[in-house]
Amino acid sequence: MSTTEHHHPEVHAAPRPPATGLRRLLAPGFLRAIWMMALFFGIGLALVLGIRAIAGWHPLWHWPPVLAVAFLTTMPLGFLAGIGAFDYWTHYALGRPTRPEDHSGHGARSWRDYFRVNTDHKVIGVQYLVTTVFFFVAGGLLAMFVRAELARPGTQFFDPQTYNGLFSVHASLMIFLFIIPAFAGLANYVVPLMLGAPDMAFPRLNALSYWLLPIAGIMMLSSFLIPGGAFAAGWTGYAPLSVVGSDGNIFFQMAVQWAGASSIMTALNFLVTIITMRAPGMTFWRMPLLVWANFTTSLLVVIATPFIAASQFFALFDRVLGTDFFRPESGGYVLGYQHIFWFYSHPAVYIMMLPGFGIVSEVISVMSRKPIFGYRLMALSLMAILFLGFSVWAHHMFVSGMAPWLRVPMMITTLLIAVPTGIKVFSWLATIWEGKLNFSTPMLWALGFLSMFVIGGLSGIYLGAVPIDIHTSDTYFVVAHIHYVLFGGSLFTIFAGIYYWFPKMTGRMYDERLGKLHFWLTFVGFNATFFPMHLIGVQGMPRRVVDYAPEFANWNFFISVASFGLGASTIVFLYNMINSWARGPRATGNPWRALTLEWQVSSPPPTFNFDEIPQVVGNPYEYGVPGARHAVLGEERVEELERVR
Amino acid sequence: MSTADAHAGPPVAHQSSRVSAPVLGMFLFIGSEIMLFGAFFTVYFFARVVNNAPAWPPEGLELPVLVAGVNTAILVTSSFTMHWALQSVKRGSRAGLQAGLVLTLAMGLTFLLTQMIEYTRVGFAPRDGTFGSTFYGLTGLHGAHVFIGLTLLTFATVRAFRGHFTAEHHHGVEIPGIYWHFVDVMWIVVYASVYLL
Ligand code: HEM
Ligand SMILES: [Cu+2]
Repeated sequence: MSTTEHHHPEVHAAPRPPATGLRRLLAPGFLRAIWMMALFFGIGLALVLGIRAIAGWHPLWHWPPVLAVAFLTTMPLGFLAGIGAFDYWTHYALGRPTRPEDHSGHGARSWRDYFRVNTDHKVIGVQYLVTTVFFFVAGGLLAMFVRAELARPGTQFFDPQTYNGLFSVHASLMIFLFIIPAFAGLANYVVPLMLGAPDMAFPRLNALSYWLLPIAGIMMLSSFLIPGGAFAAGWTGYAPLSVVGSDGNIFFQMAVQWAGASSIMTALNFLVTIITMRAPGMTFWRMPLLVWANFTTSLLVVIATPFIAASQFFALFDRVLGTDFFRPESGGYVLGYQHIFWFYSHPAVYIMMLPGFGIVSEVISVMSRKPIFGYRLMALSLMAILFLGFSVWAHHMFVSGMAPWLRVPMMITTLLIAVPTGIKVFSWLATIWEGKLNFSTPMLWALGFLSMFVIGGLSGIYLGAVPIDIHTSDTYFVVAHIHYVLFGGSLFTIFAGIYYWFPKMTGRMYDERLGKLHFWLTFVGFNATFFPMHLIGVQGMPRRVVDYAPEFANWNFFISVASFGLGASTIVFLYNMINSWARGPRATGNPWRALTLEWQVSSPPPTFNFDEIPQVVGNPYEYGVPGARHAVLGEERVEELERVR
Repeated sequence: MSTADAHAGPPVAHQSSRVSAPVLGMFLFIGSEIMLFGAFFTVYFFARVVNNAPAWPPEGLELPVLVAGVNTAILVTSSFTMHWALQSVKRGSRAGLQAGLVLTLAMGLTFLLTQMIEYTRVGFAPRDGTFGSTFYGLTGLHGAHVFIGLTLLTFATVRAFRGHFTAEHHHGVEIPGIYWHFVDVMWIVVYASVYLL
């Protein structure tokens, strides 16, 4: 692994001297985390037993609250305290003087610095990406198990309960631990650079929001270990199944809280950074579309995520405290879960897509050497999706038995939302039109996204129409739809982003041949796996069931074989990334000849991004426009300032 | 910043908005909190209105409207003392700051204790039907927020007594203050819908 280049070695405060002996137990780090986890676990346990004793609830020892509080709340808090995520605030709370000029926790001098609480947005971005790719691989392996089971009708390897756990954990990891945070990771790295800011607005909050992720991911995976098995109610965790099912559901409900808290903190951080830290001259209408995309996404996160947090709290309380929120037998409103869940989770599909729109806009404009077509409309359509996204949630509930009058309004808003999405698709096409295309790996992913996402959008329109949805609800048609939008859509854009910014992040170039091989293997494998699902879905093969009717055997065998090929393509990706990071050829500061600010500094950028804050003078996408400039730095900046004066 | 010491740390970020970052951050966080309360109100609405609950509160249960009303008055007053603390530090009066914070803390604690005593005496538990669930849900969520607010105020108080904060630099008072006002306003909404409606 490469170490970050020293731009100005004198910038750093001297690194903390390594602690020795007993002091190592007190210095922030994994050692301190171990005993603090034990300590906090004890506190949690005492809390549960104490409250149960005072309230007179029997039996005193009851697994669900012990799991929820001691294992899944206070112990992780102990971990965070141990690694030092709260050190600054403890310091503050005790009334000690603060030292804002202390940058000892900032930047990476060796690979070890990636394994501690680090306040540099670039380090955090890489931490995010490596962690999320880890969970992507874990979630992918679970999918391989699912496909192995489905290769033939009947039950082969897993009993139904285990099978349900497999696809539930698969989907939850992919959504909460991969797609959403991988976008946050890319944006963490890129957004401050694009804005001409030295870091995010709240670097310590940023560090904390990263460290919540491994906690959430390990929580989901470890639910396999408890008696009763993993949570098995799907990534949607519908009540009452998630209330009466195995205690593994507690792991899901708590992991969602941790991942959700992480998302909200990051989103606040992005919003504040984008609003208050733009370089001079960087008006909203000069921001790159990636910044716009993360701005709207962050608004969605801040507004919607509390709803999923609440839905999981209610389901958790129903189990742990015996409340009746979703228990129909004692007056609870069971459909309430779905309403509250989808009020978050439909906007969440845009949380999983809008940042990708931003990435694709960057890549397509740069690789076509043309200004983005309809820049303002691109930004405005993001905002339109933001607002419309809150008015469509019940299209996931057409067959749930909800109030029938809700159906048609929800159908209309659902179909309306295709309009701003369509605007974006046509803008990208118009940008490519007559461009000077550079078919590099990121561009291939972007074009792959464009074509696959349109297919996913079209099946979305089918599903949005009530009569068709009633026929295809809970069939493989829905599975095909979500994979065309999330895999062919979101995941393809994440790959586009990773390849596009790889030289910036590592200072090295990836292997273009392997990159292209990865793309084509994935593209073919993806279509071979998921396209047939449309067909068997329309014919009525139900989703989320371990067994199926023999008439679907041939297609399923084909799909399983294709999916193993698809899974194997990831090996090419991992090999390319690791190998190129270690010994790829050195990358220049601006290998794509892009105009946006992150490419105007060295690769990787200096610790504080810029020596002086750049001056923004024009639009970010004026490719092929003679003499056009987005920003001026260094000497030029001084001249420009004088000229303006 | 002169070029000589530009190398001693990050370049000073350009401030592109009139609001300061921590204040904006707190407002956005409050937006998120309002949504969280919104979800709790939604489930309350489902249980009471959508499900057509026959009697609310169910036969034989009664909420201590008056005691909670007095408690509401205490919490609302604490918003004024909080405001006074902030105005004092802006005028440079440390004594006013300290007194304001201590009074606010005391009233907040009183509120929380009263609430806990109320829990032991209302005569129903979270597991007693949707009425119990939503009552404890909303008041408990709010109580947790009072607790967070008090924690933040404790930080501010400790620092106020240790000589921090000046007429120019007092974000550490202002921001917990904003949060505290939010907690108070939210209580009025919770009180009105749970106890009065
Ligand atoms: C034109 C745009 C879209 C429309 C009209 C649309 C419509 C729908 C509808 C009606 C359903 C419900 C199907 C059912 O359960 O019977 C659905 C499911 C789903 N959609 Fe979309 N969608 C669109 C775009 C997207 C995007 C962009 C994403 C994510 C990036 C997405 C992710 C999902 C997911 C994850 C589900 C499955 C939820 C579950 O597990 O039940 N959709 N879509
Ligand atoms: Cu939806």
